[in-house]
Order: sequence, then structure tokens, then C-alpha cells
Amino acid sequence: MIAEFEARFGPILEKRILGEKKVLYTIMARPEDFQDMVRFLLAGQNVRLFTMVGTDERAVEDAFSITYWFADTSRGEILGVRLYVPEDRPVFPSVAQFHRGALWFEREVQDLLGVEADGLPDRRRLILPDDWPEGVYPLREDFKYSESPLGEKRYPYVRPPEGTSVHAIGPYHIALDEPAHFRLFVRGEEIVGVDYRGFYSHRGIEKLARGRLNYNQVCFIAERICGICGFCHSTAYAQAIEEAAGVEVPERAEYIRTLLLELERLHSHLLWIGVAAHLVGFDTAFMEVWRIRERVMWLAERLTGNRKTYGLVVVGGVRRDLLDYRRELVERELNAMKREFNDVVEFLLSSSGFIKRCEGVGVLSKEKARAWDACGPVARASGVDYDVRRDFPYAEYGDLSFEVPVEKAGDVLARATVRIEEVRQSISLIEQVLDAMPGGGILADFGDIPEGAEGISAVEAPRGENVHYILAGDRNAIYRWRVKAATYNNLQTVPDMLVGYTIADAPLIIASIDPCYSCTERVQVVDIESGKSRVVRLGVGICR
Amino acid sequence: MPVTKAYPFEPEEAPPEYRGIPRIDPVLCIGCGACANACPPNAVLRIDDPQNGTRRIVLDVGRCIRCARCEEVCPTGAVRLTTEFEAATDDRDDHVEVVELRLARCRGCGKYTHYTERQVEKVLSLIPRGILDFDRVREKLPLCSECKLKLTVLNATKFGEVDGL
Repeated sequence: MIAEFEARFGPILEKRILGEKKVLYTIMARPEDFQDMVRFLLAGQNVRLFTMVGTDERAVEDAFSITYWFADTSRGEILGVRLYVPEDRPVFPSVAQFHRGALWFEREVQDLLGVEADGLPDRRRLILPDDWPEGVYPLREDFKYSESPLGEKRYPYVRPPEGTSVHAIGPYHIALDEPAHFRLFVRGEEIVGVDYRGFYSHRGIEKLARGRLNYNQVCFIAERICGICGFCHSTAYAQAIEEAAGVEVPERAEYIRTLLLELERLHSHLLWIGVAAHLVGFDTAFMEVWRIRERVMWLAERLTGNRKTYGLVVVGGVRRDLLDYRRELVERELNAMKREFNDVVEFLLSSSGFIKRCEGVGVLSKEKARAWDACGPVARASGVDYDVRRDFPYAEYGDLSFEVPVEKAGDVLARATVRIEEVRQSISLIEQVLDAMPGGGILADFGDIPEGAEGISAVEAPRGENVHYILAGDRNAIYRWRVKAATYNNLQTVPDMLVGYTIADAPLIIASIDPCYSCTERVQVVDIESGKSRVVRLGVGICR
Repeated sequence: MPVTKAYPFEPEEAPPEYRGIPRIDPVLCIGCGACANACPPNAVLRIDDPQNGTRRIVLDVGRCIRCARCEEVCPTGAVRLTTEFEAATDDRDDHVEVVELRLARCRGCGKYTHYTERQVEKVLSLIPRGILDFDRVREKLPLCSECKLKLTVLNATKFGEVDGL
């Protein structure tokens, strides 16, 4: 991808090399070329939109910058195209016009930075609350992170088509575990259209990191982005910083990271299989699967000190070593788990009730999966052969052997099958890690991170790729941290999956992408009580 | 491994590795605030009262994310994560642990300095006897930043080392 791009557009661009197979091109003057470049890149067979970052660079460049990152999955190359948008006229040509996967990115950048995408198909607000005033952009540098302005509450929902009624799922609903609002337009039982409004659980994490945290504190905050794949987020963040600072992570630390990443995948997939069984009314299998999951949770607690937030990754390695007695625990639990998991899978898949509820439901075609840049098990169940662990190796994955399961059907059953197979692969990966674990140090030493250094890294979380981008600022503070969670792309495919099926299928279809709303929504928070806005400040009311 | 248990009617033990609620040992704490600097969610605060000469280290367990960074950086081992995990309460104040320490008075002007008395003691205990002129160090130690500045300038002029000024 990089070579072709260079041959065609190279001369007019400024080139920055970030790492092996990672390049960033910046366009200083000619935004009219921008769309051609993006079109050219996306025409590639295995090229996907990796992430998109909008940055307020007015302090340095007198402009906002919009960076589209592309990944060539077959060659392991990452390429960024950066466009500077002038402060007085912050408009850039929309990519979402011809590539739907860019839709949320552009709506987000419009919300948070006030940079408009010209020709954006859906111009509604995505992230900010309904009562956020117009013209206030929280990610700009002149906006203080403790501010919370109030505006008038309004949100333009899509008008339901003629002859349909609206069936709302959410923001709070028994079939959802986190707030999300799906408005299903139904004719009789059949879903004919969907409108999604989400982003109810913003916590202002990116602004927070810019506001008051230092590099190593962010690792622990990053872990709290997601309630399931937190370790993936902190690892992705640490890797991005390590890339920016040029830190060589000790091998033993890489092995420990790999072990815990796979442990996290195990518990996440087991959670999902249980939930899927529960949603089709097969609660025996649900309880059985969660009983097995409890082994993983218990193991994580013995290995790291907590069932979920491992708190282990810091920039440069890991904080605590895995001692030998813990190795025996892992072996014992894995052996028991392998046996029990095979039994429960056989039990689950022999139930015709489960199969019939899942088969042919919520089909996502390969073309649609590619158009929305779906990732993880959702993409693999639709025939997109893509896994960050294999295509952009990090930690120890380059040295371990594993298979990437791919299905063609694209229905709920295919997603279940992919996850079941991934559980088996994870168990095998953990065994390989235990066998090959080397000795040595676990934390690398490094100095200051140079101002303006950039890093981008992805980790294959249980749900897909988590992409973290980092731009270093002065005085060892982060200038821009961009998190793209897997659900950010996968959630956009859900309306396509829902259309044509019945309301009864909706919870299972929504659940089939294993949505993780808090992962997706991480930017801004307002605390409102009795109509007034109030900034929650620590210390007030506590320290009399 | 049974999953259904009679908890909370029978006690539940967390494993020894568990990172639970942190506790500050008020006897060991010297009030340096290293924990407050390291804490990612700002659960530990260092609050000075220069009028009354006190410093409070305030730990809000309700805000704590149990990452154990405070334990890692504490120079005296005063902060320890316990294996307790039950934090439910109907009083918000139950979550707050406060250690109150005296600030040291400046030897020059008598105002309160930025260090606690225990911090001064700790620093003195760290200085190896015989290498430095111990009494001179002791004399200087609790000085407020203003008096320290004055003393530095005074010493510099005394020995004629004012090149940079």
C-alpha cells in the first residue's frame, strides 16, 4: 500500500516515518487531493480505515489536523494521511460520502472539535449530550476540562417511514447491559429501519488525559475504559507510548502481557456465549458457561490481584512478575477448563432451540462488513479474514502459533462458532506462553518522551481491534490521545443486521456483536442535578 | 469449585494476592504526599492548612480504583492494600480516611513550612552520620522556601560565588 501510494502521490506530500511499515503523510496545501488519496487507498483489496484522529494543533500549526489512518491487513502496513484544516474555515471534504465506515469518525470530529465534514450524509450530533450548546467544542485546547455548559435539549430523531410504528429499545432495557437507544421502525413484527442514538456514558477520558494525568497514570485510567477488555486498552495505550518513545520492552514482560490478553479473551468470550444462551432462553447452558468463566476470573484474581482490572501494564513493561506457584494454578485451571468447555459446547450446539434461533438471523454480508470496517469476530464471521494478532503482530504473537477462525455465513451462529473456536485457540496460546516463558527483567527504563512524537498501536481485543493513537506534548504530558474501540465500528453494522428480522430477534442480534458501549463512548461528561449543571470536584464536601 | 455461596451470611475470604481497600498507617505516614502525586484517579489528596499548621492526607476509598500505585511509591510503607473488599455503607464519610500531621515551623521566621515534622525527622534519619556536618544540616532543615532562598543568597555572597546572579 505504501509503495503504490508513494508512487502516485508521494512528491506533493511531506513524509514522516513512524516506525517499520508505519508512515504518515501530511498535506499542507491541497485538500482537493485529499479525497482522491482516500479513494485510492480504500480501493485496495485489504485496506481498511484503521482510525481517524482530529487534533487541535492551533498552538503549533495554526490549524486543526484531521488524520485518517489506513491499514493494509495483508502486508502489515499502516499509513496516515493528515490534512490541515485552517482555523478560520474548518471544513474538509467528507469521506463518509463514499466510505460508510468513516461516518461516526466525522460526526465525532464535528462534535468535539468543530471541524466540519463537507457533504457528510448524517449531520446530526453523535457524542455530545442533547442539551449541549451549539458552538462549544470540548476537545479544543481553549476549553477547560472542568467546564460544563448548558444549552437547550433537542435531538432530531429520524422520522419513521410511512405505515410503521416505533419500537424503542433502550436507553435502559432488560435486554441491554449498558445504555443505548435503538429505535426500531416496525411493520407488524418486521423491522424495516433502525435509528441509533448512543453515547450516554461519556466520561471525558481523552480530555482528562490531556488535562491532568501523566504518562503512567493514563495506563490505569485506560484500563477503566472498558468493563471487559480493559487490559487490551491499557496494553494498546502503553504500546503506542512505547512506539513514540522508542522503548524496548523486555521479553518476559511481553510474554506476561500475552498471557493476560488471552486470559481476558477467554473470560470475555465465555461471558458472551453465556449471554447468547440466556437470550435464546437456554439458561442451563448460560449458568454452565458462566461457571467455567468463574475459573478464569478466579485465575485472573490469583495472577494479578483483581478479577477484572489487572492493573499490570505500565509504559515499558509490566509491574508485577508471575511467580512460579501461579504457573501451577494456570495449568490446573486450564486443564479443567478445556474438558468442561468441550462438554458445554457440545451441550449448547446439540440444542436445536439454540441453533434455530441463531441460524440465518442477523446476517451481515461480507461487503457490508467491509463497508463499515467491522472487526473482530463480527468481521471474521462474515468472511473477512483479519486479525490484528496475526496481521500486525505485537507482544509475543509473532512467535506463537495460532489459527484465525473464519466463517462465511455472517449470521449469529457464525459469530458464536468463531468465538467458540477462539476460546480453544486462546487456551492453546496460554499453554504455549507458559512453556516458552523466558526469565529476565519485566520493566524497561526510559527517559523523557520527545515533544511531537507520535505512536499508533492496535490490540486485538475480544471484540476486535482497539486502536490507540498518541501524540506527545511538552513536559511529559499527552497532547492527544485517541481511542478507537472495536465496538465503535461493529455497532454501526447493527442497523444493517437488524433490518428484515423480527423484534424478537433484536436483542440477540444486538448482543451478537458483543457490544461494549462504555468502550465506544469515552469523551465528555456533564453532571446535571435539578436542572442546574455542577462540576463534581473532589475534596469539596469531603474535607471539612 | 462451588459458585453459589451463602455470602453475605457466611464470611468470604479474598485470595492473598487480592488488591482491596487501601489503608494508611497513621503511625508510619510522614505526609510527603508521594501517594497523592501517583494516584491516577485523585483518590488521595494532600491538603495543607498553613494557618493552623496541619497537613491532611485524605484517602477517598469510594474514588479509589485499587491500582496500588500509592503502595508502590510510599517511602515508609505506610499505605498498604488490604484484602478487604466490602465497601458498601450508608454513610459517604465511611469511605474517607484522613491522616492529620503537624507541619514543621521554619527556624528562620517561625512560619509553617511545606514539610511535616515527620518528613524532617525522616530526612534527618536518612543522612549518614559522619559524612556531613550533621549539626549544620539540622540547623538549616526546617526552613520555609523564603528563608532558604535568603540563606542561599547570603551564603553565596559570603563565599563570593555569585557568578550566575
